Amino acid sequence: MERAWYWRVALIAGVTLFSLYELVPSWYYFSLPPDQRNGAEYEKSVPRWAPDPNRHLNLGLDLQGGILLSMGVDVDRAVKAKVARRADEIGDFLKEKGLTVTAAGTSPDGARVEIRGPDTAKIADTVLDHYGSEMNAPGGAPAGAVWFGFKPKTIQDFKSKAVEQAEKTIRNRVDKWGVTEPDIKRKANSQIQIQLPGFKDPEKAKELLGRTAQLEFKIADDASTALDGVRGKLPPCPGDEGLMKLPLPDTGCWTVERVELPGGGAREETMIAATRRDQLEAAIDKYAKPLIAPDQEIGIGESSVGTGPVRDRYYRTYLLHAKTELTGDYIADARAATDTSSTGMNRPVVVFTMSPEGARLMEKLTSANLGRRMATVLDGKVETAPYIQGKIAANGQITLGQQRGFQEMFQEASDIALVLKAGALPAPVTISEERTVGATLGPELVKKGTTAALLGFLLVVLFMIAYYRASGLIADVALLLNGLLVLAIMAIVGSTLTLPGIAGFVLTLGMAVDANVLINERIREELRAGKTVKQSVDQGYDKVFWTIVDSHVTTLSAGVVLMNYGSGPVRGFAVTLIIGLAASMFTSIVVTRAIMDFFTRRDTARLSV
Amino acid sequence: MRFKSFDVIPHGTTFDFVGKRHIAVALSLAANLAVIVWAMPFVHGLNFGVDFAGGTEMEVKFGKQVDPGVIRRSVEELGFKDASVQTYGPEADNSYLIRVGRIALLGADEVATVAKAVSAKFPIQGAPSFNPELGDKIDFQFQGVQPTTAELKSVIEAAGVRVREVREEAGLAAGTHSFAVITYGIQDKVERDLQSRFAAEKPEVRRVEYVGPAVGRELRNQGFKAILLAMGLIVLYVGVRFDFRFSPGVIIALLHDAVITFGFFAFTGREFNLTSVAVILTVVGYSVNDTVVVYDRIRENQGKFQGKRLAEIVNLSINDVLGRTFLTSFATALSLIGLLIFGVGTIWDFSMAMLVGIVSGTYSTWFIAAPMTIWLEERAAKAKARAA
Repeated sequence: MERAWYWRVALIAGVTLFSLYELVPSWYYFSLPPDQRNGAEYEKSVPRWAPDPNRHLNLGLDLQGGILLSMGVDVDRAVKAKVARRADEIGDFLKEKGLTVTAAGTSPDGARVEIRGPDTAKIADTVLDHYGSEMNAPGGAPAGAVWFGFKPKTIQDFKSKAVEQAEKTIRNRVDKWGVTEPDIKRKANSQIQIQLPGFKDPEKAKELLGRTAQLEFKIADDASTALDGVRGKLPPCPGDEGLMKLPLPDTGCWTVERVELPGGGAREETMIAATRRDQLEAAIDKYAKPLIAPDQEIGIGESSVGTGPVRDRYYRTYLLHAKTELTGDYIADARAATDTSSTGMNRPVVVFTMSPEGARLMEKLTSANLGRRMATVLDGKVETAPYIQGKIAANGQITLGQQRGFQEMFQEASDIALVLKAGALPAPVTISEERTVGATLGPELVKKGTTAALLGFLLVVLFMIAYYRASGLIADVALLLNGLLVLAIMAIVGSTLTLPGIAGFVLTLGMAVDANVLINERIREELRAGKTVKQSVDQGYDKVFWTIVDSHVTTLSAGVVLMNYGSGPVRGFAVTLIIGLAASMFTSIVVTRAIMDFFTRRDTARLSV
Repeated sequence: MRFKSFDVIPHGTTFDFVGKRHIAVALSLAANLAVIVWAMPFVHGLNFGVDFAGGTEMEVKFGKQVDPGVIRRSVEELGFKDASVQTYGPEADNSYLIRVGRIALLGADEVATVAKAVSAKFPIQGAPSFNPELGDKIDFQFQGVQPTTAELKSVIEAAGVRVREVREEAGLAAGTHSFAVITYGIQDKVERDLQSRFAAEKPEVRRVEYVGPAVGRELRNQGFKAILLAMGLIVLYVGVRFDFRFSPGVIIALLHDAVITFGFFAFTGREFNLTSVAVILTVVGYSVNDTVVVYDRIRENQGKFQGKRLAEIVNLSINDVLGRTFLTSFATALSLIGLLIFGVGTIWDFSMAMLVGIVSGTYSTWFIAAPMTIWLEERAAKAKARAA
């Protein structure tokens, strides 16, 4: 045999072994019962020598059950809210400038800011002077009033940013649940599509994703002794040399936290802690709520004890002033950075930028509350509560608590920046498309799909042997390898197997032998013309090579278009089709040729085709 | 020794494809027109699935056999006049697909009643907003005194609408408060009704899909565009690889196959949905394969038999590769048999439509694509003669 032949055989053997090796995690994945597949059980069952356990074939929504949601971001309402807020600001702004304003509100349709006052011309000039980059003053306002509207470009930017932010927020939330293989994409018409395979509770998904989740800034009421009253009712938290020791009692427990007060003092403030959020909520309702004043509120935050991987989380209270001083709507940008100032010691911090209006409000708030703690509350949970060290205006900085490793702190800073930037849904969302597949349907479809695929495969294999005999058998060996390769590639790239995907898989098996039909027919033709077996085989492969390439490219281009168009199961079909066609180019040309060459290596060779 | 083989289509067949092209074209034209006319909304129309029409679709499995007519009547009694119920999968599965055209259970009347009941107790600002295209959700805004979520819920329930959740949202402006009231929807109503009516048959809702009409329209437009885009790409590729003289033939053959496959959905009344678009796209990509084989052979024969008339070369070429164009389609069709036997619902439709597309693809290669090239050549030659 020629030298090149040995190389080709080595390549084929390599690809086969590699495919088998890559399918090891999938083998273990599917040998577990469906309800244990996505847990620690599975990771444990995969042997150490196998590839990354995460690289296994995934079942799509339709096969393992789950939920697909499309959420429409209500951008029009977000715009209306922005107009209404701007009306308030303009009112305040004009009063600060010393102008008389009799009313500051929105026009009846809610699309414009409407300001009433005696000197409308002066009002218009002052407002446009300050807000001119974003707003204009269209005519048509009733007598004694001026209208201000956002420029179309501002509105458009605002809308697209709202959808972008909503997508980030949703992604952020889904990531927190640890759903395997979530798929979140933005679509036209302010739509966001979310797929959560294996997610059992659609109601919960809708509730968690649909919540607007306002980000709020509140000032901590550390001077109040209101919570000291719980000491007689709850047990003290178990501790070890001043450090809390978990587990905490189920009823919740109390402990003290040393807080600094503005002006230099410090005191021990009582707080309640519990291992689970619901336990803490129960304790707050029962013991703490009766103790606090109407203008106070109890915030819940998460904290941890210990270091490294053995850190234990628990929930704790913060006593806050109930008033929401500022909302996250005013944050223009936030990111993680290192504090390079002389006192900063290069620690990771969160840097944020407020919008112009926000900067004004933030300055007012922080200068009035220097030395107090300001809680950042997201989704009803206190994320951080740092001390206000100095006046914050447009650019603020949040210092993180306890000293830990740089990596860890930087990660936390990035997380907080993300929450600040994308924490709140900028506009309410509504669900415009929902597909829920129950868990009982999936296994049945998997069974039917596999049976159908096997039958289709078998028929193709038998046909090839019956019609082309030895040559057919060679094509069948290649076909088997093709199936193996497709599954392995799907496992590697992490694409999901859907019911249409199974159909696509079967279809590509049928298409894969097309190439061999073309080759074998050509060989017959050359033999008929009186050529030797060896010549005929060479000619057969050479002459139809480009035909095979052409036919694959055309089908592939349809597949690529489909992949960009379809969603969910249909996309799964397109992906399988593309992978199948790519694999079949290799198996039906390279693999069959190598085997064919081996059997026809002598000039006297005979071939049944 | 002479080589012998068994061929389904004996080699050396000389069928006059080019000569039959007028009959074939007339036949195809009639079939295509029939499909298009039939699919017109005012003639018969298509059976759009929820993907494209919007609405709610539920797959319900019963423990025992149930008459689908009885299910439809009971769904209609709930107020869904346009409800359709069809058997899904084999009879023995007792699975049914229930479809209603709406996605929101609430109607304008109910929203008005609810608004009246709420405004009697609390100061509503403006009219509550409700969009039947978005689902069972009413947004209220209050000025000054605001209800608690529990109060709002009890007032609305007293007005006769079951509330699933009341959610407080940030107000549009300072001093106002917004609440989103989410009420129980179609799925809940149908499910509860079926469960009480067919308690003995143990209905189980296995799958629910709902698509807003706006989303449906968009999916439909995008699907149409995707098919055109795929055709465009293929025609361009074939043009570059062969000769743009072949392009019109390819375009006509592609359109023909797409329309015939589409015809399967139009004439059988099978649901036309996202998967149907996937089939048409696949047919478009696959059916051109045979055409490529023939064109390749035409090119080869043009080199071999210079001086022969194009019509003869085309005829010869089609006959040369008759066996393989048939066998490739046959092998692919074979792989679909399993899906046709075990496939349920959408997947069965997929396989059947694909089969139709494959057959149509082979037919159009033989009778339309290649002979069309001659027709165009002849026209060009005539025009040239007239000009000279």
